[in-house]
Amino acid sequence: MLGLHGELDLLGAPLLQEAIDQADGEASAIMVLDLQDLQFVDSAGLRVILAAHERSRQSGQELALTPGTEQVQRLFTIAGVNDHLRIIGSPDEVFV
Amino acid sequence: MPQPPEGEQTDVDAHSVGDVAASVLIDAGAVLASSLDPSTTMGQVASLTLPRLADLCVIDLRDEDGSIREVAVACVQPELARELEKLRVEHPLNPAGGHPVAQVLRSGQPVLLPEMTSTLLNSFAQGSKHAEFMIDHGYRSAVVAPLLARERTLGALSVLRLGGGTPYGQEDLQLVCELARRAALAIDNARLYSEVHSVERRLEAILVNLAEAITVVDEHGQTVFANQAAADLLCVSDPEELTSSRPGEIMPRFLVLDEQGRELDLEHMPGRQLFAGETPGPLLVRNIVRATGEERWLIVRSSPIADPESGRVVYVVNVFENITEVKRVQLAESFMAQASRVLASSLDYAETLQRIARLAVPQIADWCAVELVNEKDEIERVAVHHPDPAKLELAEQLNRDYRPSLDEPAGVPEVIRTGEARIYTDIPADALAQYARDNQHLELLSAIGATAVIIVPMIGATGPIGAITLVSAESMRRLSPGDLALAERLGRRAGTAVENARLYTERSRIAQTLQQALLPESLPDIPGLDVHARYCAAGELNEVGGDFYDVFDYGPDRWMLVIGDVCGKGPRAAGVTALARHTLRAAAMSGQSPTEMLETLHRALRRQPPGADLCTVCLVAAHNTGAATQLAVALAGHPPPLLIDRDGHAELIGSPGTLLGVLDPIEILETKAELRDGETLLLYTDGVTDAGRPNVELGETGLIELCRQAPRLDLDSLLEYVEDVALMHAKLGLRDDLALLGLRASQSVPSQR
Repeated sequence: MLGLHGELDLLGAPLLQEAIDQADGEASAIMVLDLQDLQFVDSAGLRVILAAHERSRQSGQELALTPGTEQVQRLFTIAGVNDHLRIIGSPDEVFV
Repeated sequence: MPQPPEGEQTDVDAHSVGDVAASVLIDAGAVLASSLDPSTTMGQVASLTLPRLADLCVIDLRDEDGSIREVAVACVQPELARELEKLRVEHPLNPAGGHPVAQVLRSGQPVLLPEMTSTLLNSFAQGSKHAEFMIDHGYRSAVVAPLLARERTLGALSVLRLGGGTPYGQEDLQLVCELARRAALAIDNARLYSEVHSVERRLEAILVNLAEAITVVDEHGQTVFANQAAADLLCVSDPEELTSSRPGEIMPRFLVLDEQGRELDLEHMPGRQLFAGETPGPLLVRNIVRATGEERWLIVRSSPIADPESGRVVYVVNVFENITEVKRVQLAESFMAQASRVLASSLDYAETLQRIARLAVPQIADWCAVELVNEKDEIERVAVHHPDPAKLELAEQLNRDYRPSLDEPAGVPEVIRTGEARIYTDIPADALAQYARDNQHLELLSAIGATAVIIVPMIGATGPIGAITLVSAESMRRLSPGDLALAERLGRRAGTAVENARLYTERSRIAQTLQQALLPESLPDIPGLDVHARYCAAGELNEVGGDFYDVFDYGPDRWMLVIGDVCGKGPRAAGVTALARHTLRAAAMSGQSPTEMLETLHRALRRQPPGADLCTVCLVAAHNTGAATQLAVALAGHPPPLLIDRDGHAELIGSPGTLLGVLDPIEILETKAELRDGETLLLYTDGVTDAGRPNVELGETGLIELCRQAPRLDLDSLLEYVEDVALMHAKLGLRDDLALLGLRASQSVPSQR
């Protein structure tokens, strides 16, 4: 599980990419991106999340996300990606 | 209290008592005025009562702890006086006891004892020895009066008659009381004086040892007091040199300037202003020692000492606080901050360096020149400054006729070659003569009048690219190692700025060329519709990719508006941008609907090498039917456009659709709308709404509000206004590209508010 804080933009995106690459190495069945404390996402940040989604889909791993702040949710809506991602209420839900 | 009854009062000749009184008080006046030493004075007061008023006189004072101390005894029999003194030491008076002196000290009231019987004497004696003494010496009659001053009882004055003399009466009591009052005043004054004196001594000790320089000047300008710190500050060996100097003799040894470099004379000094009746505040001065060129920053504070009676200022106390170090650091930091701002303000480095030169004068030096090595390896003067145009002409002439070449051994060429800064704190005439190429050169150099010079290299990535020269001349300011360090920082900063500007100009030229290829060169003229666009790239112009827009016709009276955002920057993003633009054009030409066009682009992106090329697009198909313009809005992961009515009310148009290039399948929904006269459709990228984050981003609601509040403007001005506000929000720097595309039904002029 990865907890994200602050802003996921052009500057933050490479950091998330790195974290996801590391987590991939652990090859768990499910990866949760916890966005609850994330203040902001732009297209660069979204791109990293979608790339992770694409990769997990191909490798049979599951990727789940918790909703971020209002801005983050608004961006997900505008980008039309909500139907493609597994959005869960809280990080614990995946274990239920 | 043994107040004698009226009847016992002895009948005394009033005339003679009056004479005694007058003579005693006159003598007392003379004695009390003669000295300020209380113990001497009290002895004299006691003596002068003999024998006119008393055979024995004793003055006791009350000490701070309440004990009673005899300070003066006078007696017609000197032997008796000595014995009494001894007795008083051995048997001090009990302040709480019945002795008349103790009673008077407690009550503050005088006591008259016309007849003292042995019973009475025994009643207040301090032991049998004391009683015997008083009885043996024939204590007969006494008056004890309090020494009263400022409502305090300082002590008591006792007069006694011994043996068979005339007993005291009421008039004697009054006289003794008056004498005691005067003696008390004298004691009180003496005490006050000695207190003031010790305060003065303490003050002087403080002033003398203070680290801050202090002088006291009288109304004629004569220094009457100075401490060692003042002597050090004013460059003399000791305070006496200051107090013995003539008024106005010291000041000309210094060049005194205000913060702006204007020369100040004596009349500007706060001390002088105090004498002139003004109330000056502290004055910050730059003080330069003419003899050495040493520079100090001083705060001068002056306080008046007025004559208590006339209120006229008779002395002024000057305190000089030396804040040179603080001021140096502060000036250096403020200078560097200013310089950095100037250097970052523009890519036109020639102009920037000229501003730097202006900034350095007079803050650091009297002259500043900047030289760069050009591509032909020549040293080129790019900036020079001196406040006096006539002097500036000298520099121009020097540069014209005696421009240094890079291989010269000293000066600017040496610094540029070695990259090592040089400081010349002393410029001897023969050194100048040696440096000069001919007489005219020497004349010009001499006319510059340099007293100190600093030359620092401007360092770029590959080494020195130029040099900055700072010259101290008429100000005679000494250039310190601190100035050298500051100048070196400036050199590094300026070197980096120049180099960046050079690289940047190159790169941004390439980037702009490329960007322009990705954006339409000009927008088409559409009958009945206004169309305008604005675009502002983030990343300081030197990256390509990101936002794009396009407007083209795809049939008679049918226009397609495109705005989009390709995720990422650089060549790959530029490739995707070009792909998007051309794919959409081709799709439109083949008669596809907006939804179909977006699906076509999506498939094209999916055929690209993997790497999640994410692209958001907003398409608006506009069909001008004459009556109104029919709009079809299709969104693919892109923020919805705004439809703004003539009153500025804006609403978001369109429903969210999937962004392109990553997820399958995509879902796009077309929304129909109508654009009526004077209404505006505003397409934008998230660079507009995200501007200003993380603090005060504009957001969609902010943008709607902005459109509502915007003045009624033509379309181009409205876009410019929105862009300005977004840029203002993004004062930390634009983090993302910003694109705006507007369409307005322009058949009639928008209504005025």
